[in-house]
Amino acid sequence: MDVTLIDYYANHGTSFLHRAGAYSKILFVTLLVASVIITREFYMLLGIYVTLLILALWTRLPLLKIIAISIYPTVFTLLFVIASWDGSWLKAGVVMLKALSAALTMVILISTTPYPDVFNVIRPLLPGIIAEGLFVAYRSLFILLKLTDDLVKGLSIRGGLKKRRYANNIKNFSSGISLLLVRGFDMSEKLYGVMNLRGYKGEARMVKQDIKASGGDLILISIGVSILAASLGIRIESGLATYSTHLLALCTTILATSAIYLIQSEL
Amino acid sequence: MSHLHVPDGVLPNWIVLASWIITISILALCVLRVRRTHMLRKIPLIGIISAIMVACMMLPIIPFAYHLNLSVVAGIMLGPSLAFIAVFIVDIIIAMFGHGGITVVGLNTIVVGAEAVIGYYLFQIAMAMLKKHSIAWSSGIATVLSLMLSTSLLLGFLYISQVDVQILFEADKERVSTTSFEEKEVSTAEHSSSINVPKFAKVALILLSLGWILEGVITALVIRYVSGVRPDLLLPDAVK
Repeated sequence: MDVTLIDYYANHGTSFLHRAGAYSKILFVTLLVASVIITREFYMLLGIYVTLLILALWTRLPLLKIIAISIYPTVFTLLFVIASWDGSWLKAGVVMLKALSAALTMVILISTTPYPDVFNVIRPLLPGIIAEGLFVAYRSLFILLKLTDDLVKGLSIRGGLKKRRYANNIKNFSSGISLLLVRGFDMSEKLYGVMNLRGYKGEARMVKQDIKASGGDLILISIGVSILAASLGIRIESGLATYSTHLLALCTTILATSAIYLIQSEL
Repeated sequence: MSHLHVPDGVLPNWIVLASWIITISILALCVLRVRRTHMLRKIPLIGIISAIMVACMMLPIIPFAYHLNLSVVAGIMLGPSLAFIAVFIVDIIIAMFGHGGITVVGLNTIVVGAEAVIGYYLFQIAMAMLKKHSIAWSSGIATVLSLMLSTSLLLGFLYISQVDVQILFEADKERVSTTSFEEKEVSTAEHSSSINVPKFAKVALILLSLGWILEGVITALVIRYVSGVRPDLLLPDAVK
């Protein structure tokens, strides 16, 4: 999972999703996750996933990369599918689509919203120490990932990680992690010193979010509310489930049209 | 790697809700305990340890897709309260990357947090029993045992999540309904979200037991290295 790439996408994108406010995007994520939880109908879940693909396409970010990032957790979901396997492909599909849809929703959020904006929204819900810890953790993550990457490269180049030399590899890998820990502690001390010098009193000040709604915000919230309404409708009145195939067909048509339009506009 | 990579909406709502209530209560206790200490100094420390945990989780160990948690290392180095907070932060960050459902963050925090807390206490006990002669053995044993316990906790959660009143209600409803074959199949898929715990336990225990040993060895080597290079980084109570 390339966190640095996600951060780059979040800060350099220009799509309507990038311009939409963090509040509306988090509201959209909440509505979508609620829909995924409520829905147990295969075609409806497929419809939700196709809708998310349309949104991912409109972010104008590399679609395959975005999908690849969101597919990663499904490797673990497969374990649950195997564990609950009773011969029904549809049931396996429901579990997999739940994982894929929820993961893609989160990936769309973080690849279109800079992390300080996301944390700014959730900050009032968390105690000070957790909110600040979360901010520092995310901030340091990029530095540590770079260190980890350098470390693995360094170990490989110097012959520290060789094929079939498991004991040696584990020993060297552990030394690398230890070094990372020691450097991390030094970093935390330096960070504390810098924060102290800058008058840190337990709360990092953020730029206040502008909660004025734009067109993009309204589109997002409308999509979220429509999906939740459809999911609730199908859950309450199971007879409505027959319409989920129509919904899926509509979403697939929009996806195909969007793809053609975007390909042509880029040529 | 004992945390659940369960997607949203698979586990029963009551278990998700209960786990959030338990997590919030434990977090409140931890925050109260931490407030008595020098909190400002602890914030960068929690942040960095959480970031190291996330960075290590992103290194899959081929060939069996295991990844390190370093929760016991966090427990030993931060103590139980700070480690539990760090685990919660880690779970929020990995959920943001779609690495497991956002609604199961509460449950994951209990499981991985238990790993860190149990690891810390087991390390203390092992150190007292081994007369502080072998810090590596103490941390290794503490890691393997706490991973075993946290995996048991996870399997326990999965076992109790089998009893879903809603599933029973919908199954009853299905018996009296007159639906077509296709609708019937979809309907069956809808409410058969239960997990075969013995089957899951077999798969998980075979794969994870290798991981426990691996994580135990790595934790032992890491703690030994840190105690040699920077003994001040380990808790004063853990190592004099």
